[in-house]
Amino acid sequence: MTVKSYFLPRSLPEALRLLQLHGPELLVMAGGTVAMPLINEGISLPEAVMGLRLAGLDRLDRTDGTLRIGATATLTQMLDQDAVPMLREAARNTASWSIRNMGTVGGNLFTPPPGGDVAVALLALDASVTLAGARGERVLPLGDFFTGFMTNELAADELLVEIQVPIRSEPTAYMKFGRKHANTPAVVTVAVRIEWHEDRVADARIALGAVGPYPIRARQAERLLVGTGLDADAIAAAAVAATQGCEPFTDGIATDWYRRKMVSLFVGRALEQLAPGAGAEGR
Amino acid sequence: MASTIVTFELGGREVEVMVKPMTTLQSVLRNQLGFTATKEGCRQGGCGSCTVLVNGEPMMSCLLPVEDVAGQRVTTLESITPAEGLHPLQRAFLDANAFQCGYCTPGMVMISKALLDHDPAPSDDDIRQALTGNICRCTGYRPIVRAVQAAAEAMSDDAGEQAR
Ligand SMILES: Cc1cc2nc3c(=O)[nH]c(=O)nc-3n(C[C@H](O)[C@H](O)[C@H](O)COP(=O)(O)OP(=O)(O)OC[C@H]3O[C@@H](n4cnc5c(N)ncnc54)[C@H](O)[C@@H]3O)c2cc1C
Repeated sequence: MTVKSYFLPRSLPEALRLLQLHGPELLVMAGGTVAMPLINEGISLPEAVMGLRLAGLDRLDRTDGTLRIGATATLTQMLDQDAVPMLREAARNTASWSIRNMGTVGGNLFTPPPGGDVAVALLALDASVTLAGARGERVLPLGDFFTGFMTNELAADELLVEIQVPIRSEPTAYMKFGRKHANTPAVVTVAVRIEWHEDRVADARIALGAVGPYPIRARQAERLLVGTGLDADAIAAAAVAATQGCEPFTDGIATDWYRRKMVSLFVGRALEQLAPGAGAEGR
Repeated sequence: MASTIVTFELGGREVEVMVKPMTTLQSVLRNQLGFTATKEGCRQGGCGSCTVLVNGEPMMSCLLPVEDVAGQRVTTLESITPAEGLHPLQRAFLDANAFQCGYCTPGMVMISKALLDHDPAPSDDDIRQALTGNICRCTGYRPIVRAVQAAAEAMSDDAGEQAR
């Protein structure tokens, strides 16, 4: 362990001040479930670390149709809320109880694939993120936050402070496929939200995890669904189209070939859950 | 490397330790306080052998800088073992042969304790869900699930008796 200083700020202003003072050399840590294993293993050798656990950024607030999630709210806090059912489902499918008690929603946005199972749900839910720095705050759509494998819009002097999720009543489907039933890395994670206008699809979100450098949307498949009644043909076409634009990789869990196959299969299954007559309203 | 003093509650007693920055709770428990029930396994949060309770909630002590638990209530296997005899969970693990090498047992008992505190009558599925982060390479888990079930029954019988 090379850490010479460990800071535990008690407020956001204090945290931002420390960040300003120490610059990019300061490793930021929230729940530590990604950062600490790397430090324990000697892969990451920071001299200065700032822990956010006591910075008071873990509040959940429901205001004007929006769930405001403090960046350091834990995955367990997602399990315990009922404003957005898909986030409960995503948390249930992420890691194990002890890790969910430590790992944060904000941290999940920084977790490289095949991790990021909550981020995938947030993407399908049209979430936005608030980044705070010395010059103030800015809000951007989550889709604009990710820029590449383990890179994002966050500037060196900024912290992620909040995630906003519109609370809607439309039915959603969330499926994580792994090699075990629980506590397992994803082969693919699929999050779907359908907006209906009468009996036609008005808009669709299909977010995919573990098949690209960060959580991505299957935009071609989304477009194909609009105007359909989510019938078997429309679902089949979207399931095929969903593989377009994804960049599956090979790791110890699955090959790129297999991941691509599973994208189609699980997008199809998720859409079937939401098809008229499937009886899965408001999952 | 400036050392700091951290105070927390361990098994109902206040303890004070002098640590280098970001020493893990796991290391403090084992190496400084001699509380060796909490095991050192993968140090990646992946095996559960270091599970302790912080304010009653299970956490992996290998991923927890001790500074983060300053002023908090930490519970380890030592804290729940009575001066005489065994905790009902320990008794049940023994009776059900829920371990062979025993390395995972302190973590298994602690997460099971947290489960029974939340839900005194869990289903088999609830138990399996709760224990997914705790790895056992000996038993195949069935005896462990049986032990937790048996402990739940024993504890509710006890509670019933006390109420009478
Ligand atoms: C055993 C195990 C199983 C796991 N299983 C899963 C799984 O099934 N699915 C899954 O998605 N993940 C899984 N994970 C990964 C991880 O637990 C989660 O992604 C968790 O949400 C990460 O959050 P954290 O707060 O612990 O991250 P941290 O380790 O605290 O943060 C990682 C990095 O993110 C950045 N960061 C975090 N928060 C902020 C912030 N507010 N502002 C600026 N930068 C920040 C920092 O650079 C930090 O170093 C698993 C981890 C373990 C150890």
